[in-house]
Amino acid sequence: MVKEAVQIEAGGNYFHFYAAGIVITLLYSMAVFISYDIYEEADHGVIEYLLSLPISRRELVLGRAIGGGLRSFLYVAPLMLIVLLMIGITNPFRILIAFAALFLFAFGVSGMSITIAVSIKSHDRFDILLGALNAFIVRLSTTMYPVAFMPEQYATLAQFNPLTFAADIFRWGAGLEASLLANPFLSVLGILMFFSVFTFLGIIFYERQLEGGGWR
Amino acid sequence: MISMNLADLIIMAVVYTNMVSQEVSQKYLNYFLFFSPGITITALFAAAFMIGREINRELRREISHYLLSLPFSRWELAFGRVLSGGLRGMVYMAPLLITTIFITWVFTGNIPSVLGILIILTTLFLVSVGTSGLSITMSLSTRSFEKFVTARGVVYYILFFCSSVFYPLDFIQQLGREGTLPQFLVLIAEMNPLSSGADTTRAFLFGHPAYSPFMLLNVALFALIFVLTASFAYLKILQG
Repeated sequence: MVKEAVQIEAGGNYFHFYAAGIVITLLYSMAVFISYDIYEEADHGVIEYLLSLPISRRELVLGRAIGGGLRSFLYVAPLMLIVLLMIGITNPFRILIAFAALFLFAFGVSGMSITIAVSIKSHDRFDILLGALNAFIVRLSTTMYPVAFMPEQYATLAQFNPLTFAADIFRWGAGLEASLLANPFLSVLGILMFFSVFTFLGIIFYERQLEGGGWR
Repeated sequence: MISMNLADLIIMAVVYTNMVSQEVSQKYLNYFLFFSPGITITALFAAAFMIGREINRELRREISHYLLSLPFSRWELAFGRVLSGGLRGMVYMAPLLITTIFITWVFTGNIPSVLGILIILTTLFLVSVGTSGLSITMSLSTRSFEKFVTARGVVYYILFFCSSVFYPLDFIQQLGREGTLPQFLVLIAEMNPLSSGADTTRAFLFGHPAYSPFMLLNVALFALIFVLTASFAYLKILQG
């Protein structure tokens, strides 16, 4: 169905390229879900209980971000494994590096989701904003298609998209080097920056909202 | 949801137009034009499906007592819920259908006749109420929101990807003949109401695939089965 040029750009097999991209899309979607849990807790009055636990606010917030990231990783693990077996694992060491980077990516996405959720404080508004953000962040990345087929403006945005970094590093780990957009080192650096910014922001915002019933 | 469909149209469809082989989409001028009616039908489906989530929430929060106290019969209530879900799908889909017709007119100069538009709207309405019925039936079969969301995901992806929304039906049939795609998936794609809805729209916009009364019959049967099932299931829950 796709042109021959697509197969070449995708590193020889567009199916493998797409399968790797779907794993990243799923990882992102699952990591974002943590905020719905936070809203549920606020709705059901569980936050008071959480605040009474013998842990600091910061530990609680960091735990939520890590928990969200870890959960998404566990959810996606079976599919990730199937995709890796399908593509064929050529270098286990690379896979481990990719996994470590994807862990950070999932934590970063959880942090981003928490940051947005506690800034907005309205479940409905959050739903709308997240829907819009997801729609554009996924489509303006290289998860589903190689950057060579994107119009120039889209391609420029895609190069700075954290999903592109994550898709690139996963494809690199799986041995699909020909399809990479940038040096894998740059992708890891991009993920690290994304993780640091949003985990940090998530902690600050959530911590502030927790004090004095500000989440209500 | 609006943003998702817009992103599908202005980003995904544009990129895929550069990627899809001309042989597959040449009957529709290009893949972008082929895909536009597909996006319209996915929007209709997703919007009509939302009623299930609301009814599942009502079921969990036991709002049925309040609903039963309202001054209308249980049948009216049950049928009204199915119909409202279908109408929501139509209202939400309308701007996308207008955009699709406009885009087609800009690229090809084709505008469907009044009869064509009526057939498109009737077909899409039947798909919409059928989807609403399907969604309500599923939402009433479990009190667990997680189970409902999981089942919804499975139904979404089977109906979306095993249909002519993303790829032409004759291409799917060709893959079936070549043995690349299992025959049961080809059959699902042929019987899928989303295929009938998307292809009816394409038939009157591009003249391809040729319009067949089977398309209308297929969606009418889909609507009849699920409107009745959902209404009975809703009545049963209300009375329980």
